[in-house]
Amino acid sequence: MIPQAPILAIVVPLFSAFLMPMIGLLSKRYNIDRACDWFAVAAMVGTLIVVASMAPTVWGGQIIVYKFGDWSPPWGINLAIDALSIQMALMIAGLGTLVMVYSVAYMQRDSRRDLFYTLALLVITGMMGTILTGDIFNFYVFLEIMSVASYALIAFRRDSSGIEAGLKYLFIGSLGTSFVLLSIAMLYSFVGSLNIADLGAKLAIYRGAAQPVPTILVASLALFVTGIMIKVAMVPFHIWLPDAFTAAPTAVSALLAGPAAVVGIYWVARLPYLPFGLPVGIILVSLGLLSMIVGVLMALTQRDFKRMLAYHVISQKGYMVLGIGLGTLGSVLGAQGGLFHLLNHSIYKSMLFMCAGAVLYRTGSQKFEELGGLGKNMPLTALTFLIGSLAISGIPPLNGFVSKYTIYLGGIEAGLPIVTIIAVLVSALTFASFFKAFSSVFLGQRPKHLRDIQEAPKLMLFPMLAMAVVCIVIGLFPALGFNVVGPAQAAAENSAGYIGHVIGGI
Amino acid sequence: MVELVWDPIVVTTAILLGSLVAYIILMIGHKITKPRLTPEKLKTYACGEELKPEETHMDSEQFFSPIRRIFRPFYRYIQPAHTGVLSTYLLWVVVGFIIIVIIIMLTVR
Repeated sequence: MIPQAPILAIVVPLFSAFLMPMIGLLSKRYNIDRACDWFAVAAMVGTLIVVASMAPTVWGGQIIVYKFGDWSPPWGINLAIDALSIQMALMIAGLGTLVMVYSVAYMQRDSRRDLFYTLALLVITGMMGTILTGDIFNFYVFLEIMSVASYALIAFRRDSSGIEAGLKYLFIGSLGTSFVLLSIAMLYSFVGSLNIADLGAKLAIYRGAAQPVPTILVASLALFVTGIMIKVAMVPFHIWLPDAFTAAPTAVSALLAGPAAVVGIYWVARLPYLPFGLPVGIILVSLGLLSMIVGVLMALTQRDFKRMLAYHVISQKGYMVLGIGLGTLGSVLGAQGGLFHLLNHSIYKSMLFMCAGAVLYRTGSQKFEELGGLGKNMPLTALTFLIGSLAISGIPPLNGFVSKYTIYLGGIEAGLPIVTIIAVLVSALTFASFFKAFSSVFLGQRPKHLRDIQEAPKLMLFPMLAMAVVCIVIGLFPALGFNVVGPAQAAAENSAGYIGHVIGGI
Repeated sequence: MVELVWDPIVVTTAILLGSLVAYIILMIGHKITKPRLTPEKLKTYACGEELKPEETHMDSEQFFSPIRRIFRPFYRYIQPAHTGVLSTYLLWVVVGFIIIVIIIMLTVR
């Protein structure tokens, strides 16, 4: 492991973000094109290397506890990295790197790219912090860093739709983070600690039916769950997402659909065990099912390429929350399927947004009615979109099938076969929706004005093709994925082990 | 306990073999009945009306109209509820929060 790796995973993107305006000034002064772009890519590669260096230690069964100023928790602030955190950190760093490479070409026509990369790196900083921290107030701080940078990124182009979407997300997202802050304040007033492990240890007496749960704890849990569900965009808290993902520059949509999805689901996976440890399985299963159905039915009738993908984000996150919820009801397969689906979905949804971005970049349109027959002009984009479409629809042998199949089995294992039936039906509707998208954009007759459209630039194609290859490889060798999500699921459930490592046992 | 029965290599091989067999059947069919294509045959039929490629695009909102009919209550009530009005959406959040409070109170007590 690289010395100081846990804090470096946060510091590298944070300081790179602060350095970016200076790089922007220098690149203008010395006329170096794309200096900001490649500096952002280098920062992400550095972050990925730092995070990857921690993985062998964590997968070896240890929990890395990094104490600030050598103050022992719960008195001092700490970072705690277990198998669940490392899965998320690897996904954020890996996908974040590919999104930055894509942005090099996609954002080429935009001015103030230094500002764009500053905000993007701040989003990465916030994401890293929320999943690595062992302190619940620091979690809130990093959540705000991530959220505020996201609001600005959505409105980055300052067009009317972007500003409207950014403001909507600002109002609804701020309500969510306020709920989280209020929940933390209630927890602190009740328990007198902000350390997640310490909170878990002190609230352990309320697990089971031994002690009645105080009203303040019920209120705190409800506020925390609502705040997280707003960030995850579960129905009925989903309303900010379609506008935001449609109006944002596509590189931002890919960043928010892939890496940023990780943060919310990380806390959904953590929540049933730490810091509250109270039963939330019914809420997770209900919201998961509702989001799957509403998301896919809304997606079916969309006329806008990116808006359709945005509704599928809601639907697919529903699968993840459902799987994790089934895990709390006793299904190990459900929990593993939920975390596996997060891994798979982050890959192919980023890729699908990148394909939509490539079409928008070349044609200037994201309306189905204005597109068609682009498979002849953009064969590689069409191929990657086809792979992503089949993966998200759960068609074998791609990665989406493996995680969805595991969730289907999770439903049966939890004694809820109706859940499995609904999940299969939603997959069929997902396929129908992507069939429409593929035929509208890449098949059929090509309008005359699209006759001379060229394939996407190589720098945009590279991350798309890399993700397509990963979709196929994980589909063919699912053990690669299970080797990551298996320890993650075990770590999420092992609250006693987490508490033991951080503060030395209950 | 449910056992995970899934061998991706076997299934992928089967899918590829199936695709190969289908392709061979298609090629044999093409050899037996050679298509005689003319530009008129490839045109979209619209009762004799000449259509530009742009005009032949299907309406993407109505693409799956049978599905819309099956889920009519959803498309009649839930879809129009997505008004885009921020105050309505904030109301959804409050209603969702109240439902979550009720479910938690029922499950933990």
